[in-house]
Amino acid sequence: MNLIALRMLTGDRAKYFGILVGLAFASLLITQQGAIFLGLASRTYQFVADTPQADLWVMDPQMQHHSDGKQMLETTLARVRGVEGVAWAVPMYRAFAQLRLPDGTLRTCLLNGVDDATLTGLPGDFAEGSPESLRHEAAVAVDLAAVAGKLSVSAPGGGSRPLMIGDQLELNERRGVVSAVYRQRPGFFWDPTLYTTFSRAKQFSPGTRRQLTFVLVKVRDGASVAHVQRSIAGVTGMACRTSDQFAWKTAVYILTQTGILINFAIAVLLGFMVGAAIAGQTFYNFVNDNLRYFAALKAIGASDRRLAGMVAVQALTAAACGYGLGAGAAAFFGHAVGEGLAFFLPWHLLVFGAVSVVGIAAVSAVIGIRKLKALEPATVFKS
Amino acid sequence: MTTHHDITAAPARALAHDRPPAVRCRGLTKDYGSGTARVRALRGVDLDIPEGELLMLVGPSGCGKTTLISVVAGVLDRDQGECSVFGTDFASLSSGGRTRFRGTNIGFVFQAFNLIPTLTIAENAAVPLLLQGVPRREALERARGVLASVGLGERTDNTPGKLSGGQQQRVAIARALIHRPRLIVCDEPTSALDHHTGMKVMEMLKGATSERGTTLIVVTHDSRIFEYADRIAHMDDGQIDKIVTHAKDL
Repeated sequence: MNLIALRMLTGDRAKYFGILVGLAFASLLITQQGAIFLGLASRTYQFVADTPQADLWVMDPQMQHHSDGKQMLETTLARVRGVEGVAWAVPMYRAFAQLRLPDGTLRTCLLNGVDDATLTGLPGDFAEGSPESLRHEAAVAVDLAAVAGKLSVSAPGGGSRPLMIGDQLELNERRGVVSAVYRQRPGFFWDPTLYTTFSRAKQFSPGTRRQLTFVLVKVRDGASVAHVQRSIAGVTGMACRTSDQFAWKTAVYILTQTGILINFAIAVLLGFMVGAAIAGQTFYNFVNDNLRYFAALKAIGASDRRLAGMVAVQALTAAACGYGLGAGAAAFFGHAVGEGLAFFLPWHLLVFGAVSVVGIAAVSAVIGIRKLKALEPATVFKS
Repeated sequence: MTTHHDITAAPARALAHDRPPAVRCRGLTKDYGSGTARVRALRGVDLDIPEGELLMLVGPSGCGKTTLISVVAGVLDRDQGECSVFGTDFASLSSGGRTRFRGTNIGFVFQAFNLIPTLTIAENAAVPLLLQGVPRREALERARGVLASVGLGERTDNTPGKLSGGQQQRVAIARALIHRPRLIVCDEPTSALDHHTGMKVMEMLKGATSERGTTLIVVTHDSRIFEYADRIAHMDDGQIDKIVTHAKDL
């Protein structure tokens, strides 16, 4: 009878198409809106994710997110290095700076300074130049995504050109030279990010006693990350977070402070409700339209359980097909727009979408089954 | 209740009377609604239908014919009285037991055919067997056989929408016959058909059931098919007021 149920479902192509469109629409809304939200959320901690070398991040306890700019005393680095279980610890500087481009344009940028000796903390992908070029005098590396955009400069013949290796800059009124162009994933903040060495970054931003933003820590093999984390926090009095904890703290702070979380939660919820209403109504109509046939089956000898099974098979099949179409369309959308739009589609979201769509179909099916259960088979004699 | 018996004119009925009753009803009542909106559809119906008989239920619209066959077929609960089919009282069965009993012992032919439009006519005819758990291939094979016996052997892969009204009713008859039920209830089986087609449908129905001794209850307004009845029960206002063997006695 399951095959009969499927033939009832798919036999009327127009109705079946309507059910599929409803469920696919719900799936698309949930998956696409969810993926955009997760894309935005993941961009908030892009800096942490693009600094994968560290197991632990040591920072001022009041630091709310990675661009908060609260600095520590440099003595903290030595104290961290003295903690049992630390394989290595390197300094990192991160603060906003005033950038003057070769054509005189002023920009605000984020300036990152990485360990002079090891260059630990640099992005891993360089489009032009090399990490080693940062050892040259006044050298800075710039973001590929910004060189033709926010960091483009006026061309002599009119128009603009990308910032190039060899171009001279002013960072907080000190000379810098573009030595490399790196590539990284888009971040949440719009200001371009420049990398240089830790000591040069301090020269670019003089005048304060505290110039250590982070200490990046690698835990020795075999040592407990949690234990080392507690030890560092105890010894330094600073906050010590794993990359995941730091990323999560950053994401939560930014999403809650900007209102993005609640706005997208509402968008996803609305998508779910609209999709649920469309899909639920369409499937309910399908059951309703077939009521006389279900009544006939009931009279002929189909038990309530059998009819419930038939409706469940129909609902699950429609949900699976509708979900596949919607999730596929969302994935295609994400692929088509590329990196221009924040879009992150992890398997967790696909599972959430699947569960949601199956849930919608299940609720519709339960409503239909309740109606079938209450259906008097005698109604079949009403012409 | 007045009963007119004419044994010489109804040999089938005489044969039927030698057998135990297929249907036995005593004092059947059924109300719809409640309070001031209550409508009494059956007012103490007594009825015996011997096995193998073709009984037609006739009477004005709203007199209770459909309610009576619904109760007899076990698709509607009675309020009071007794009703047993082949010795089984539906009231003594669970909901599932009632469904199983119907699925095994009763066939249905509906006025509106109620064929599932998205299935082929072979699949439609096979439904009672599929509900009994007969494998799909075997059920379809048997359905094709029954459809051939009602003259639709060449159209088994068509959907109902491609058939005429008469052909659809023949599919419905095939569906009612396929699991060899002992009782078939038919609700206005010819009302949607022209005279010629209606006659053919009744001949087919009677021919297919008489050799098996199947009991038939046919609700109808169509006086043109009265000649196929062994007996005709006339209902009015929720009661059977007359049972005759010839239409002229109504």
